[in-house]
Formats: sequence, structure tokens, C-alpha cells
Amino acid sequence: MNTPFNLDEHRRNRPRPTLAPPPERYFEQLPMRVMQRVQIAPATIAPGWGWLAALTAPMRTALASAVVLGGFAAAFWLTPNAPLTATSPDALARVPQEQLLNYLLTTDQRITLVDLAEVPGTASATPASTYWQASPTELRELLDQQSADESYL
Amino acid sequence: MEDQEILAKFHDPAARNVAFNQLVRKYQRQVYWHVRKMVINHDDADDLTQDVFIKIWNHLEGFRQDASLYTWIYRIATNECLSWLKSKRHKFLLPLTDVTAELSAQLEADKSLAGDEIELKLQKAILMLPDKQRLVFNLRYYDEMPYEQMAEVTGTSVGALKASYHHAAKKVEAQMLQMVG
Repeated sequence: MNTPFNLDEHRRNRPRPTLAPPPERYFEQLPMRVMQRVQIAPATIAPGWGWLAALTAPMRTALASAVVLGGFAAAFWLTPNAPLTATSPDALARVPQEQLLNYLLTTDQRITLVDLAEVPGTASATPASTYWQASPTELRELLDQQSADESYL
Repeated sequence: MEDQEILAKFHDPAARNVAFNQLVRKYQRQVYWHVRKMVINHDDADDLTQDVFIKIWNHLEGFRQDASLYTWIYRIATNECLSWLKSKRHKFLLPLTDVTAELSAQLEADKSLAGDEIELKLQKAILMLPDKQRLVFNLRYYDEMPYEQMAEVTGTSVGALKASYHHAAKKVEAQMLQMVG
């Protein structure tokens, strides 16, 4: 049968833990080494930022996250609206109908009466009639002459 | 030099370094051995002991004297040890047994334990305790710290500490019975 081990009895026989002692003169030199480190430590912190060192690690992480998120938010609010591209439907819708017609008729575009007649809302527009120089009946006849296939091209 | 005198001098910028030097001289052995029993290896204990005193330097200005200076220093040393052991496990992704095995190997390399088989086995049995329980065991068994003071150091109730020490002692004795017998 195994002999029970008694901790109290063992301590009476060996009052101290028996790990190897530190190197000779260790405790004579330790205060000096600690003092060297505490003298160096404050100098490594940039002036004005000492309060950062006083914060706990989670607080510093939270602060860094807040700064990054704040930066993104500021960049978002301060950036002017992106310029609309020429193909944006909203931008085209804002151009007056008259200006569009002027552009199409004055530039070197091959616009025919048929093209203009197919622009929605232009059939009764006043400016269109100025340029078409054609009656609604003439327009209708021209449209009727187009084959079904062509009108879908 | 008494603690109150050290603290008073520390608050005087002209005498701060002298006061802190006195503090280190007064408590260095207790801090070192407290740490050493937890980390076993001298080099690690040396690094941690210095870190403990750096922390004390950084926070002594705000020390409110709710507890004694001795208890406060022990608390800082305890927290440093537990954090170090925790980070060691996380750093290497080692399970508990591997860190225990590493510390156990360091025990075997300790010259003072060479030839003292019973003591070596006892130290190995203590290493098998979870860190916090090992800390409680060391404070009570080796440092013979009163439970009330242990409660201040660890932030745990006296009842819980008594139960923890009782369980730790039983585990160590059972382990010794297994290893020695």
C-alpha cells in the first residue's frame, strides 16, 4: 500500500521552496536595472502624447477604432457629390427638351424627321414644329411607310 | 524605511528616485520569488519582476492606499504572472499540458532540485494545478499569507480561497501518492 503524502509534514522538514537561487549579486543589481528602465521609459513617449500611455489597452483600441471610423465619416460628408456621367438618365432628364433638339439638329447627326417623330412627347411640342416644317399628317404618312422590322432596329 | 515614508518621498519630485529605489530594495525578493514560483525559470522571473516594478513606478502616483503597499505590490505581481502565463498559451496555441510540460522540464533542469526526488515530484505535482489554484496554493503554502490578505491580492472571497486551497492541497497529495508510491 502507498504511503500517504502529507503536505504539512513535508513543509516542517523543508521550510523553503528549493528552486535554484538567482545569480550571485542579482538582488544588488536589480534596483539599478529597474531605475535605468524607469528613467528611459518616460523619454520614449513623445511630448503631448503621454496621456495615451495612461490608457488601458482596450481603451486605446476603442480610441483608435473611433478615430478611423470618424475619419471615414468625415471623408464621406466632406467629399463633394460625384459628377454625373453623361450617360446618366437623370442628367439627360434634366436637360430641357428644346436644348436637346437644338443639339441634335445643329450638330452633324443624321437625324431625320422619323427620328424626331419617334421622340416621345415631341409630336405636339412647339419647338419641334419649328424645325420639322411638316404637318402631323405628313409625319404619320412617313411613319406608315417604315416597315415593322426597320422601326425596331 | 516604512511604506508611508516611501510614499511621502515618492510624491516629492526631488526625492522620487531615492524613494523608489528604497521600495525596490524592500520588496524585490518577495516579488521575485512570488513570480519565480509561478514561472519557474530565472530569466522569465527576472523580466517579469522588472515589469512589475515598472508598473509600480507608473501607477504609484495614483495609489490610493485602500490596501497596504505590500498587498498592492503583490496584486500587481500576481496579475503580471497570470497574464504572462495566459499569453504564453495563446501565443503558442499550446494546451494546458504543454505549458505544464515545459515548466516541468525547467524544473528538472534546476540544479537545486537535482538529487531531491521528493521535492522535484512535489514541484511537478504543484505545476499540474490550474494557474489560479497554483497561485493560491503558493501564497498559502509557501508564503503563509493570511486568507484575508490573499483575498485582497486576488480579489476573491476568503471562503472561495479556503475551498480553492483545500482542493489544491488534496490534488497535490493525491498526485504525490501516485508518483511516489
